[in-house]
Amino acid sequence: MEISLWGDNIPYLDVGADTPNSMTTYFIETDKPLPCIVVLPGGGYSERAPHEGEPIAKFFNSRGMHAVVVNYRVAPNRYPAPLADAQRAIKLLRARADEWKIDPDSIVTLGFSAGGHLSGACATLEDVTAARVGADEVDRQSARPNGAILCYAALSNNEEWGNYACGENLLGRARCRLESDYFSIENRVTDETPPVFMWHTSDDPVVNVKNALVFGERMREHNRKFELHIYPHGQHGLGLAPDTEDVINWAPLAADWVMLNIYKK
Amino acid sequence: MVIVMQLKLWDKEIPYLDAGADTPNRMTTYFIDTDKPLPCIVVYPGGGYAMRAPHEGEPIAKFFNSRGMHAVVVDYRVAPNRHPAPLADAQRAVKIVRAHADEWKIDPNRVVTLGFSAGGHLAASTVTLDDVSCEGHTPDDIDKYSALPNGAILCYPVIDVTDKFGHVGSGQNLLGEKYKYEENYFSLQHRVTDKTPKCFLWHTSDDGGVNVKNSLVFAERLRDHGIQFEMHIYPHGAHGLGLAEGTPDVSQWANQAADWVLRNI
Repeated sequence: MEISLWGDNIPYLDVGADTPNSMTTYFIETDKPLPCIVVLPGGGYSERAPHEGEPIAKFFNSRGMHAVVVNYRVAPNRYPAPLADAQRAIKLLRARADEWKIDPDSIVTLGFSAGGHLSGACATLEDVTAARVGADEVDRQSARPNGAILCYAALSNNEEWGNYACGENLLGRARCRLESDYFSIENRVTDETPPVFMWHTSDDPVVNVKNALVFGERMREHNRKFELHIYPHGQHGLGLAPDTEDVINWAPLAADWVMLNIYKK
Repeated sequence: MVIVMQLKLWDKEIPYLDAGADTPNRMTTYFIDTDKPLPCIVVYPGGGYAMRAPHEGEPIAKFFNSRGMHAVVVDYRVAPNRHPAPLADAQRAVKIVRAHADEWKIDPNRVVTLGFSAGGHLAASTVTLDDVSCEGHTPDDIDKYSALPNGAILCYPVIDVTDKFGHVGSGQNLLGEKYKYEENYFSLQHRVTDKTPKCFLWHTSDDGGVNVKNSLVFAERLRDHGIQFEMHIYPHGAHGLGLAEGTPDVSQWANQAADWVLRNI
């Protein structure tokens, strides 16, 4: 099902820029409420890669969970538009939890690459949809996911091993020059950050695995639990990694992690 | 049928001997039936460099046997013996295994050290520090073999021994009075080079005995030097889990490690 994220009033609208204003739902048959994975495909904040959308949703369906794929705004739309779209999706799921048989306490964002930055942002940054005029039932829901899955995520904007270009697509050049550190997600971890599952390949040539490792350090410093799987070899952008022998295990491990650590039956 | 033998590490003179200290001078073999040469795992149980924990010895060897590999468990010297005695024992075992490769049907290019906690510091030492096992005894045929393993498996390892996030107790047991001069040198993340063999690491994110940052920073340095590695961090688990049987998630580490040896070494 394609669902509109926003009604008439799309916040942070850039009239010249592509505004999908939609998420695609993949709900499964169930009597009891189930976790829902909020999938955020990658694409450097300038596009959304299809292989990191629907196939992921269908995998989690096969593991007994609902999923949605969010068509969040990308460049030339700037922050906070992408985050607003992702947070709106989370709020919609909670507002309609009864109808869709979703457990509102088992909403987990999952993102790849720049979508991983967005997933991390959902877990750590402020609610950018909070102060809407005419706030309704949806707006009143919490935008904070109960967990976040980060797949070869471009978490940091630092110029040494981070993804500065991604930061520029998100923030625009001028703002990135000033705030690249603020929007490096490892710097936004607190004592309340939800549990995190991460995976990466150790020789990823596009997003340095140190994005995951340093994020893990910050989680530990704040006593936050996390799971992390790093495989020795693999190009960037593997998605479900069906043609690998080892990396392919990440998705079943992630599903197990949700059921063991997030979902309280 | 498994061939279990108790063998001496040193024939006549034992290097770095401390006559008052316990000197096991022993490794125990666990060799399986085979026609062709197999990998051999060289196991160093943990214990803070003050003892060797049994549950991190034989059960590990037997697990790797069940996965079609040979193993040996090394009773390396601990406190009050000081560096380089533990490392000499550890390296001697690697050389003995290579020296007898034909007889014991071991592939000399697939010798992997494995250690837990302080035994993990020892395993990490075998892939980063120089050969100390040629000194202090009449040269013999074993000495001429390489002491550098083809890979290392580090289980909740001590890497750093300073008080930043390292395990000071292990450092003090290893270095004695020299600790205050050498704590940085023996914090092994600083000893990684472009020649460091591939590594497999695992840890729990809330390990209360050895901070998970030990594994994270070692991995960061591996990445800095372009060395491939595999790493699995599970959200929760006490220090010293060994095989971690009975845990829903952590218990997967051993099969992951065996798969890693078979695929990468």
